[in-house]
Amino acid sequence: MSDALTQRLIEAIGADSVKTSPEDLAVYAFDAYTEGRPPNAVALPASVRDVSAIVKIAGELGEPIVPRGAGTGLCGGAVPVDGGVVVSFARMNRILELDLPRRRARVQPGLVNIDLSTKVAASGVFYAPDPASQRMATIGGNVATNAGGPHCLAYGTTVNHVLGLEIVDESGEVFTTSIDDAGYDLTGALVGSEGTLGIVTSAWVRLMRLPEAVRVWLVAFADNESAAETVSAIFAAGIVPTALEMMDAVILKAVESVYHAGYPTDAAAILLIEDAGFEEDMNARESAIEAIAREHGSLSWRTARTKPERDLLWAGRKGAASSMGQIAPNYYTQDVCVPRSKLPQALRFVDEAAREHAVTVGNIVHAGDGNLHPLLVYDKGDPRQCAAVVETGNVILQAAIDLGGTVSGEHGIGYEKRDALTRVYSADDLATMGRVRDVFDPTRRLNPDKIFPSGASCAEMR
Amino acid sequence: MNAQSAIERIKPRSVDELRETLARCDREGLKVGVTGGGTLASLGLPGAPADVTISTTMLYRPIAYHPSDLTVAVQAGMKLRSLSNLLGKERQFVPLDAPHANEATVGGTLAANWLGPRRHLYGRPRDLLLGSQIVLADGTVANAGGMVVKNVAGYDLSRLYVGSFGTLGVLTRVNLKTHPAPAKTRAFLASVPEGARERAIAHLRETFPAPSAAFWVSGFRNAVDGEDGDEGRLVVLLEGSEALVDRATRDLRSTLGRAGVPGASVLEHGSRESFERVVDAYVSTVGERSITYRVLAPEDQAEKRAMELQRLAFRFEFKADLIVDAMNGDVVMRVVDLDARSLGAKIEMFDDALHDVEPSAVVIAGDHPSRATLNVWGADPPAIERMRALKRRFDPNGTLNPGRLAGGI
Repeated sequence: MSDALTQRLIEAIGADSVKTSPEDLAVYAFDAYTEGRPPNAVALPASVRDVSAIVKIAGELGEPIVPRGAGTGLCGGAVPVDGGVVVSFARMNRILELDLPRRRARVQPGLVNIDLSTKVAASGVFYAPDPASQRMATIGGNVATNAGGPHCLAYGTTVNHVLGLEIVDESGEVFTTSIDDAGYDLTGALVGSEGTLGIVTSAWVRLMRLPEAVRVWLVAFADNESAAETVSAIFAAGIVPTALEMMDAVILKAVESVYHAGYPTDAAAILLIEDAGFEEDMNARESAIEAIAREHGSLSWRTARTKPERDLLWAGRKGAASSMGQIAPNYYTQDVCVPRSKLPQALRFVDEAAREHAVTVGNIVHAGDGNLHPLLVYDKGDPRQCAAVVETGNVILQAAIDLGGTVSGEHGIGYEKRDALTRVYSADDLATMGRVRDVFDPTRRLNPDKIFPSGASCAEMR
Repeated sequence: MNAQSAIERIKPRSVDELRETLARCDREGLKVGVTGGGTLASLGLPGAPADVTISTTMLYRPIAYHPSDLTVAVQAGMKLRSLSNLLGKERQFVPLDAPHANEATVGGTLAANWLGPRRHLYGRPRDLLLGSQIVLADGTVANAGGMVVKNVAGYDLSRLYVGSFGTLGVLTRVNLKTHPAPAKTRAFLASVPEGARERAIAHLRETFPAPSAAFWVSGFRNAVDGEDGDEGRLVVLLEGSEALVDRATRDLRSTLGRAGVPGASVLEHGSRESFERVVDAYVSTVGERSITYRVLAPEDQAEKRAMELQRLAFRFEFKADLIVDAMNGDVVMRVVDLDARSLGAKIEMFDDALHDVEPSAVVIAGDHPSRATLNVWGADPPAIERMRALKRRFDPNGTLNPGRLAGGI
């Protein structure tokens, strides 16, 4: 079957757009979370027509389709589980239309996130969603997972910035959606569906005006709790900064050794706070936030005065996860979200779980959103450590649910967390999601084995 | 049962009661009309006659409110005014900005996807909705999303219910993002000479800090207070800290002065009311003699398109009241036949002519009895067949609000 598949794909999109060597296929079995099974073929479309042709061929041969951006996903959303065709968007990476007066752009799914903001910066606008992986991650992948990032505290996640989509459906037909369409908000339903409802071939996205004034502050604390309580107090005072990030001592040491960003390595935790807006407001807001931090026992307060200083502090934050290589061979990133005011409790649970299972944990937290990323450190050669990390991750997941939170704040469900969905949703809730899937992917060939619990096929299909 | 029989009117007091009612109707083949406060009843198609109407207004209670989480959960039948009173005590708000807030329900506002004037700052209703509970036609109770501000656990079906006009299910609970209320609100009212209109609207759009809302209003005299001469006037809402609103006021005066707008009055007290009166005007009617259309134009096109539509209305000898939302590009036009007791066949000809130039124009208000013969939803969206398929999968018997949505869904 694979031979027929290869042959048909080559005829349709050309030999240089189809990869079938075992070495190539092995590469596409991975994403940033896990290893799946090598696909039967990798297709690199250059156009929506190519995508449509690929999907039709796969359909005729009964092959599943796994769309792929940069493979930076952290939950196995882009790994093939059961052969099929991986559709890589590496060659569909252009800005198709740029409408600066109306502050919008139509982009191909393979466009790297940061490239859009870089390209339009001189015009005084930017693309707001900024996942830490934005130097590699693609906008198509961001759309699939409804990616967030530090600045979604003020600006919202990817779904709040997508104005319309062009989609190839499971039969290879192309259709378009717009948030201005009458009828159901298909754009809203498709964003975050992780490639299970259709394959995005272009997206209209919103660009925002760059703020007039930006300030970034670095505040150190003697313990996690004080930092977390400062966050709640800032909201209670009616202030919503543009970003409100937290890192603990384990992370600070790792980051500082790589980035030399000037993070205090003797603090137990820091808050990295950004406020953007208008000059008139900056001094008053800075004083208010500083006073709140002081009331909660802050050890130091540092203002990044220049753009290079701000950029350096942010570079440290965005590179925090990758710096973990400094202290351990492997780490697992958990992604849970709790109501903001539950952050101090959530951090306590993380700490207790890690201690109980003798796992080293470093916390990167989108504190303003209540979105925690405990990084659990291990050596994958040690089965005891592997088991301990799995169990710790599991306990953290349950703690978040018990606090009224959810099992994924921004990374997605993918392959990793599909069974965890049953912990937050009833069979009826999941079956209702299944009704949507019935309409868009009745044959379950679009990114199969993702999102829906492995044991839920009966409920989902009913 | 048919349209001549007595319509059964039900106001469920619990989700269980609603669930049982819906399941019974679905089983017995009864058509169910779903309403909230009924304030947007003339937005969209009237739908098929109902055997049973279900109003959510008895499901009006708050469920959970944690001010420092910036989230609130309420039953869907809560009135917008009650919600704003609840949040106001904590100096917070949800910027839904729908007309007739004393009557409109939160669920109805979401189900109708009411696009408020401050959405350029805060997003659309779907951007404010974090989670929901819905009862499907067969009585299934389904939850989506949650009470956290970031959530990518499974499909976000809440967004699908926004704008669904009750055709997929009945919203019973909504979880919303709240925002801290601005410290200062100021309204800015100015008459605009005709020669200055285009520039004034263009300048408003580019003003930075942006106004929270900026309208050019012409006509709507009974709905919007103040005298505007014959040339229309601006109603601008500025919000923010005291210092920021002062700066915005100065900027606005000089911007509009340059555009040729002579003077303006500034309202501190009653600024919210001025804003709400414009929003109410969107759906205000003149008996059966008016129909109101909304066009979502690109922001830089709105003024031009409004003028084209007005000229078209004049050709049909209609009076045309206009609202141009400078920040979002909405054009709202109410056509009124002053000579007749109700709009005759002429409105159908006008409707065709209007859709020739604005295929997506949507009827948002009008008590004209034959409203259903107009193209109230404009051109079908490109994905209409997929929408029909969704409706069939959620409501296979066509029980809920049949015929209410675009394409007769």
